[in-house]
Amino acid sequence: MAVLTPTVNSNALIAGFDDPVQHGQQVFRALLKAMSEPGTLIELELNLATPGLLNNSTWQTLLSLLDADTQLWLSPRLNSDERVTSNLRFHCQSPIIDGSKAADFAVALADELPVLRDLNWGTSEYPDRSTTLIVQVPALSDEPHWELTGPGIESRKTARIAGLSEEFRLALINSRKRFPLGVDCIFCCGSKLLALPRSTQIREMRPEEGEA
Amino acid sequence: MSTATGYNFAYLDEQSKRMIRRAILKAVAIPGYQVPFGGREMPLPHGWGTGGMQVTASVIGEADRLKVIDQGADDTTNAVSIRRFFATTAGVETTESTAAASLIQTRHRIPETPLQADQILIYQVPIPEPLRFIEPRETETRKMHALSEYGAMQVKLYEDVARFGHIATSYDYPVMVNNRYMMDPSPIPKFDNPKMNRMPALQLFGAGFEKRIYAVPPYTEVKSLDFDDYPFEVQRWDENCAICGSDHSFLDEVIIDDAGSKMFVCSDTDYCRSRQTNATESATATEETLS
Ligand SMILES: [Zn+2]
Repeated sequence: MAVLTPTVNSNALIAGFDDPVQHGQQVFRALLKAMSEPGTLIELELNLATPGLLNNSTWQTLLSLLDADTQLWLSPRLNSDERVTSNLRFHCQSPIIDGSKAADFAVALADELPVLRDLNWGTSEYPDRSTTLIVQVPALSDEPHWELTGPGIESRKTARIAGLSEEFRLALINSRKRFPLGVDCIFCCGSKLLALPRSTQIREMRPEEGEA
Repeated sequence: MSTATGYNFAYLDEQSKRMIRRAILKAVAIPGYQVPFGGREMPLPHGWGTGGMQVTASVIGEADRLKVIDQGADDTTNAVSIRRFFATTAGVETTESTAAASLIQTRHRIPETPLQADQILIYQVPIPEPLRFIEPRETETRKMHALSEYGAMQVKLYEDVARFGHIATSYDYPVMVNNRYMMDPSPIPKFDNPKMNRMPALQLFGAGFEKRIYAVPPYTEVKSLDFDDYPFEVQRWDENCAICGSDHSFLDEVIIDDAGSKMFVCSDTDYCRSRQTNATESATATEETLS
């Protein structure tokens, strides 16, 4: 694993939070609600200008959680987008690394997701030492595609997360057998986000189940 | 970014908050598992519970309304000081009403009024590891949690049964979270344990000395350990609350005169007061109807 040190192009820089303390807290609370109530669609209140390929909810999630202590992996198109790397280096100071296995946070576009097993799932004694995966997806809704159950869900919830490959979907569903090891996911689309921590059980619904 | 008083918002610096926030998200994702966190000490008076304070400081925002209880009471020195601390450093509204609070920091009780979705209960935890008195080595307790090897705790509880004829542990009574991790609920009376089960509010636990954070998400199964022949039971009183008459809340025994006379009153002061208010209101309403 190597730390990539993209230069910060000052012409690519944009503003982050107007009020880093209050806005950072508000976005964290949105993320806390998302992670505590898996499958709940959360709409962020702030609308920020975003760097390059990043959307509003991805950008605000990163501004709120990342700093110099978090190793960051970016999927290829994000990593080659100077507006993304310059602003992340400038605002978050996170080391950007080329090996996803060592990443505290991995950020990916839905069509270039890393293989799930190439992320860090933590160890049985320290399952928290795992990668949090942030995926920017083309659409998010509560349509009946996945049925979600587990902690944070009163009985069941449904969600449709567009743009994920079948390989990734199956790997994510199957990863639940390895709990407490695993990867916690935050799916971002526009100003919306939805989290699926490793504790959430996922069942792919049959098309006819959506009719009810 | 600091307030006019020269403090950071909610006292804690932003880097420490971010680190604690990341730990909180991990804790929520792995219910009942103790997430270690690093960072600086929060220099606070003894008895304030630095772990609970750090969690509250990392979670709290301008829109929150904070309640602080110590053993159920809003008016002890510690509860008042902590409430004032966040009112000053974060400018948040405070309340004594359980129903009106968005955040509740607690030492050693769960309010009697059932908590609702979108509320957050933050526990001050002195010793986060339920297995510590059985196994002092952290490396070993980590392994026991990794393997769900909890037989030693069952043996310990059963020794109670052999010695006393019942499970004598009445505080800090261990629970299983989501059927996976054994968790220390902090020194709440076991009377409060059933309230943790499938609670609609988020429960966060902060241990400052050992630097651990753990969590129970809403609607998560929390089961008190027990045995087929000795099922889990909570404390019961023969008396009712001497003030509000409650026959279902956790009661404290208080001495009321030099002769040592005693009475029993609700430990949850807000609950007791709201029952008195309701009783007065319905009495007034009845009088109005009659007149
Ligand atoms: Zn009472």
